Amino acid sequence: MELICLGLNHKTAPVEVRERFAVGSNKLGESAAELVARTGAAESVVISTCNRTEFYLAASDPRAALASLAAHLAAKTPDPEAATAHFYQMERSEAARHLCRVVSGLDSMMLGETEIFGQVKQAYQAALDAGTTSGVLNRLFQRAFGIGKKVRTETSIQEGSTSVGNVAVDLAEKIFGHLKDSEVMILGAGEMSRITAQSLVSRGARSIFVSNRSFDRAEELASEMGGHAVRFDDWQKVLERIDIVISSTGAPHSIVQRSDVEKVRRARKFRPLFFIDIAVPRDIDPGVGEIEEVYLYDIDTLEQLATEARERRRKQIEECERIIDLELAKLNLPGL
Amino acid sequence: MDRWFLIASTLLAVIGAVWGMRSVHRGHRSRWTVAWMTAAFLCQLGFLSLRGEARAACPLADRGEILVFLSWSLTLFYLLVGPAYRISLLGVFTAPVVVVFQGIALIPGVLSAHPTRIQGGNAWHETHSATSVLAYGALALAAVAGVMFLVLDKQLKDHHLKSGLFRNLPPVRELLVSLERLLRLGGVLLTIGIIAGFMMPHDQSATGHLIAALAVWSAYMLVLVIKKLRGLTGRRLSLLAVALFILSLGVFAFV
Repeated sequence: MELICLGLNHKTAPVEVRERFAVGSNKLGESAAELVARTGAAESVVISTCNRTEFYLAASDPRAALASLAAHLAAKTPDPEAATAHFYQMERSEAARHLCRVVSGLDSMMLGETEIFGQVKQAYQAALDAGTTSGVLNRLFQRAFGIGKKVRTETSIQEGSTSVGNVAVDLAEKIFGHLKDSEVMILGAGEMSRITAQSLVSRGARSIFVSNRSFDRAEELASEMGGHAVRFDDWQKVLERIDIVISSTGAPHSIVQRSDVEKVRRARKFRPLFFIDIAVPRDIDPGVGEIEEVYLYDIDTLEQLATEARERRRKQIEECERIIDLELAKLNLPGL
Repeated sequence: MDRWFLIASTLLAVIGAVWGMRSVHRGHRSRWTVAWMTAAFLCQLGFLSLRGEARAACPLADRGEILVFLSWSLTLFYLLVGPAYRISLLGVFTAPVVVVFQGIALIPGVLSAHPTRIQGGNAWHETHSATSVLAYGALALAAVAGVMFLVLDKQLKDHHLKSGLFRNLPPVRELLVSLERLLRLGGVLLTIGIIAGFMMPHDQSATGHLIAALAVWSAYMLVLVIKKLRGLTGRRLSLLAVALFILSLGVFAFV
């Protein structure tokens, strides 16, 4: 019995090709069973996410199984030759190593991301429920999950936020802990502030106030996020109760002056206040950051922090691969 | 034997501090610090129970005993507050303070080598001593939380967010909440201690100590009242918690 893997991902195929071969999460088990029936393989698992579709097979005649699988996939596209050029094929230990890299987030678009671990687990569970796994794939996947956990706990591959929005949200949590008691105000209803505010809401932020020069737009965004719209002339009045301010107006000058914050300090009882300025030119006067209880981060600082985190993750790849090789070498998996 | 308990406790606190600092340096949580500090706490209990037996009273008769009782109280509050609020790093900051206090107590002459039985013990006196030192434990831990806040505040202000220490420090708001609760708890215990101090029979020589204690109590109460009514920035509250604790140790000069 030999292990084989056939797949495509964001590195080898554009989205219009990937979407042709994508399998819905509710059909993973069914698809694995279909592969066993069509290819003559003894075992199969189908992994499908927005960035990859991969087929893992254990077959006594791997060449025949691969040929059948390729024919089955070719039938899904009007231009089989062009489409199949995007597929990669791996066998035995190379396929096992690839699975461990995928589970560890090393093969992901966002290096070290954690979602893939759950997605592969879901795919394996679907195959297990469909009865398409046995001696080879059961041991391989269970080991891969163990190795994935080891990689994530023993390295910094998932540490630090790699996007501006996530850096801002992590900082908010570093200041306020759980965000369920935190209130957020958005100045300027731009896309970037909407995304950042949504991340804050998804992590539990209690309420959102949206202030924009166009009140209609403020109302629209506020209603989308279950928040309240505030007229642009009135945002200073709301500042008294706010914990986090996200600003991204298109104004050519500073919107928030030091005096605006000084005025509400007593009423706020000097509670911490976090300003996220993602506008260019900046909306918040740098003098605001000199106020004791204020933490001010602009777009350059946030971008720099995200870049540093990405760089730190990249430096961890070698160590992650060393762990994977070491752990795989300890195994005596069938099919490798 | 009591001295061996103290040496063991100090060594365990040293291990807790070093272990914790190494974990933090590597960017990991110092999960074992709480275990080392629990062991140090048990040794402190051993020391205090032997001294208490020898004194036939609360062991607060010399500066060494006061320092150990203070360390015990500080460790007790850390064990109560740290794990409950998931502030594991509090132990990393607490352990060095315990080491310093107990290290001073171990200096020859600070701790009486042959503790004598206290004659004519008085309940008010013992209540005064015990609750005051317990209060100091809570206030010491508030000062430790204050130092943690000041470190985190500086890192957040300067955008220095890469260190293992930054990753392991609890959030600003949690630190400030813990700090204020510890100040309140210390304030309540200190109030009981002061009342008991005025109720106990005392001669002219104790007046300086009671006045100093009253000054400390007034300063802490003033901070708590200002915090409640007007509000204080985290930085000022932390600086006051640290400064007041250091100044308040002067009360023991009058013991």
